[in-house]
Amino acid sequence: MSEKITRRDFLKLTAMGAAATAVMTGCGPMSRYVVRRPYTQMPEYNQTGESTYYASTCRECPAGCGILVRTREGRALTIEGNPNHPVNRGRLCARGLTAQQGLYNPDRVRGPRFQGRGKPTSPPRDLTWEEAVQVVGSALQKPPERIAFLLGLVPDHLFDLVSELTQALGAPPPLRYGALAALDGRTTLLEATRRLFDTPALPYFDLAQAEVTLAFGADFLQAWLSPVTYTRAYGNMRQGNPRRRGELIVFEPRQSLTAGNADRWVPIAPGSEAHVALALGGRVAELRGLPVPEAFRAVSLEEAARVSGIPAAQLEDLAVTFATAERPLALVGGSALTQPNGLVTAQAVLALNALVNNLGQPGGVFLTPAEATPAPLTAVSDLVRRMQAGEIEVLFIHGVNPLFELPAALGFAAALENVPLVISFAPFPDETALQSDYIFPDHSALESFGYQRSLAGADRPAWSASQPVVVPLYNTRATVDVLLAAAQAIGRALPYRDEVDFIQQKILPLLNAGGFYTAPEILTFWSRWLQYGGWWTPAAGLPAPRSPRLPASFGTLTPPPAPAEGQFYLLTYTNHLGDGSGANRPWLQELPDAMTTVTWNTWVEIHPTTAEHLGLKDDDVVRITTPYGAVEASVYRYPAIRPDTIAIPFGQGHTALGRWAEGRGCNPAQILPAATNPAGDPAFIGTTATLMPTGRRRPLARVESKDGVYGEH
Amino acid sequence: MAEERPAKWGLVVDLDRCTGCNACIAACSMENNVPFVGEDEVAYGRALYWIRTQRYWEGEYPAVTPTFQPVMCQQCGNAPCEPVCPVYASVHSEEEQINLAVYNRCVGTRYCANNCPYFARVFNWFDYELPEPMRSYLNPDVTVRRRGVMEKCTFCVQRIVRGRQKARAEGRELRDGEIQPACVQACPAEALVFGDLSDPESRVSQLARSQRRYHLLEELGTLPRVTYLKGVGNHGG
Repeated sequence: MSEKITRRDFLKLTAMGAAATAVMTGCGPMSRYVVRRPYTQMPEYNQTGESTYYASTCRECPAGCGILVRTREGRALTIEGNPNHPVNRGRLCARGLTAQQGLYNPDRVRGPRFQGRGKPTSPPRDLTWEEAVQVVGSALQKPPERIAFLLGLVPDHLFDLVSELTQALGAPPPLRYGALAALDGRTTLLEATRRLFDTPALPYFDLAQAEVTLAFGADFLQAWLSPVTYTRAYGNMRQGNPRRRGELIVFEPRQSLTAGNADRWVPIAPGSEAHVALALGGRVAELRGLPVPEAFRAVSLEEAARVSGIPAAQLEDLAVTFATAERPLALVGGSALTQPNGLVTAQAVLALNALVNNLGQPGGVFLTPAEATPAPLTAVSDLVRRMQAGEIEVLFIHGVNPLFELPAALGFAAALENVPLVISFAPFPDETALQSDYIFPDHSALESFGYQRSLAGADRPAWSASQPVVVPLYNTRATVDVLLAAAQAIGRALPYRDEVDFIQQKILPLLNAGGFYTAPEILTFWSRWLQYGGWWTPAAGLPAPRSPRLPASFGTLTPPPAPAEGQFYLLTYTNHLGDGSGANRPWLQELPDAMTTVTWNTWVEIHPTTAEHLGLKDDDVVRITTPYGAVEASVYRYPAIRPDTIAIPFGQGHTALGRWAEGRGCNPAQILPAATNPAGDPAFIGTTATLMPTGRRRPLARVESKDGVYGEH
Repeated sequence: MAEERPAKWGLVVDLDRCTGCNACIAACSMENNVPFVGEDEVAYGRALYWIRTQRYWEGEYPAVTPTFQPVMCQQCGNAPCEPVCPVYASVHSEEEQINLAVYNRCVGTRYCANNCPYFARVFNWFDYELPEPMRSYLNPDVTVRRRGVMEKCTFCVQRIVRGRQKARAEGRELRDGEIQPACVQACPAEALVFGDLSDPESRVSQLARSQRRYHLLEELGTLPRVTYLKGVGNHGG
């Protein structure tokens, strides 16, 4: 093909914008790695002054939005949404839009190195990749049951490869953990769908077409399964439905961005969501003239009112609104799940949808087809126990920062000391990487091949493709390639030449899976895969859950503990900094928090009357103590939180991760318990904390008002 | 080649869709090479947001709710920032008919910002260094400003120019929705709509005729090109 095309034709082809990569790849074995050179060695296809767009996948959170990266002269400039992508339809959130600040971050790890756990006796030194592969190879030769892989939620292709590798070695399968999935309550959702519908799958809620939506704890506009999908659906729910403007009612102890946009925010007592969901379910069944299922008889409306602090009349009103609505929908996630009653709440809310017959209906509940594989916190605890007991000889870590993200009470830091060999693949010097023996940095997201196949926001079967948009800046190497090379070096080679070959073999079944394009062979398919940024079916459509088998009981209910005098319920939540990996993007730091407008720091949200009662003013530094530890943060008087509750955002408080993240705010994971709910997700809700003024003030950089900045500070 | 008629660029902000997520700020800043200023400078009110979300609390607990209103340069037809500039750095461009900042004329009197009723203009109090290699992502279509210069939203004029040139080169008229400023393109709730107000059939024109429309500080007679659509509630909100 390459001899027949003149340079002029070639430039015409490349001028088709996003189509450019399709031309560049598939020409022969040499072009398997698309080479994008910097300005000084400009390749012929790169015209000065002309932008080239590459389709890829955002890796700032597990949602897997499609992106188009605008490049010029070999540099990634701006990131735009991929208009055809089923997850985000051309839209993006703040995290995806600032991903270049990760690629060009000055604090990246620039090559493989011996880290020596930061001990002065073993100073860090640079290694070559040959040495690195040797280190990984000899680590893989340890007794297989003593090898552990701890992976993050992205990317999926690495998880698939490591799963095959551990299987070939006879080692335990890799664990995937991330604070985002834990705070979303994903394992609880999977367990609830398994119990009710026999299929462990992440639910997809058709918010756009729902007319009355009850949301229990899920902050779907800012965090949760797929924030861009659900924000878009929210917009269409409000103004895109010609029948009526959709109504949103949110049950949360603290007003999140989602609750802030709701028509009614119900400040429910933390831990009582299950009681309310059960009582509402019973009443909705009655109102719709159905026999009340046994499981919903567990709690009466009056009892729910007493436990939750919501007046019974209001609950009755909500039940009527929901039961009589044309297209009712009930959502559940986040703080309603990460608590002892979480699994009951999840089942009750999903069953509530079954009561109003919206399973598989427009405006109802569907199941996403892709297998979702987050590990529960209990599995991580088990790993920590084995590490502590000296049963793990080598620990590989990729895509997750356990020293920051896991509750400190879990004891990961101490257990890490008992692991003789820790190998990190982090592209940034995060807390865990600095405590590792070796750092073998992976490419950053915009320099990587890969795929995401678990897309909780896609309305159809879909895979999202990643490709490098620039040539790797530093001496980094794809972790998949490192593992393949190491496996080969020890004579346990997997049947893949390299990362690209692995991905191509994995997507081979898609050739005949009814996508919106196909090709007779993989190379042509591959070029389209890269050109479109993935593969999906032409028509929307997700499997409907089967009608649920309702058990006699969803589980035992624990009444929420009433905080003692001087104690407060403690909540944590994610904002645009996500799981904390966004803290080294200076524009995310500078971006005002949507609700408080605070930038660059951590605050603790306290209801104004509570603050007044305690004699606290804005910016007073308080010490927040739980049985598991203590942190300090500045007070933000937050009018939309229960007076018995305080909240700290997740994501700050880094001791590593580079110049913009370090030494800023506090990390609530330091004071959270390691307790779990019956599905294995963390049970953070119900933790109580005390507040102690320190007598110091630390002004928060708020955008909302300049009061006080020029005055007293 | 098709005859070009002058466009009247306008923006509609649907507050019923807007969630206040601030993706628009991030998109704008990355597109327009807006520097970040750091914690202390933000605290002093010197952050360089070309678009910001005004969040006000309404009501008392538990019926308290925030209102979100993204505010950017309103592209006034009768712009208060223009007559006060002694060096003609705040002017209407002839071709796009929008209010632009001419950075190399600006001498930093800040009269324009003082006269802007929308607080849409921000000032570079310092030079904000980007450590290497972060400068690699700077958008070559947009001037990098230095200390002492006023800046503000331009409706992403570089995108307007690029889109117009592309249409001209292809010998056709611009399509409705073809040109999108960065904030409009990113907005996950599809709350922002941009287009030509002189075309009565364009989406932006249709929305700007909505019964929910209003302009910010309409009584000042600034004739803004940004139209807000009031958020509505199911319970009289």
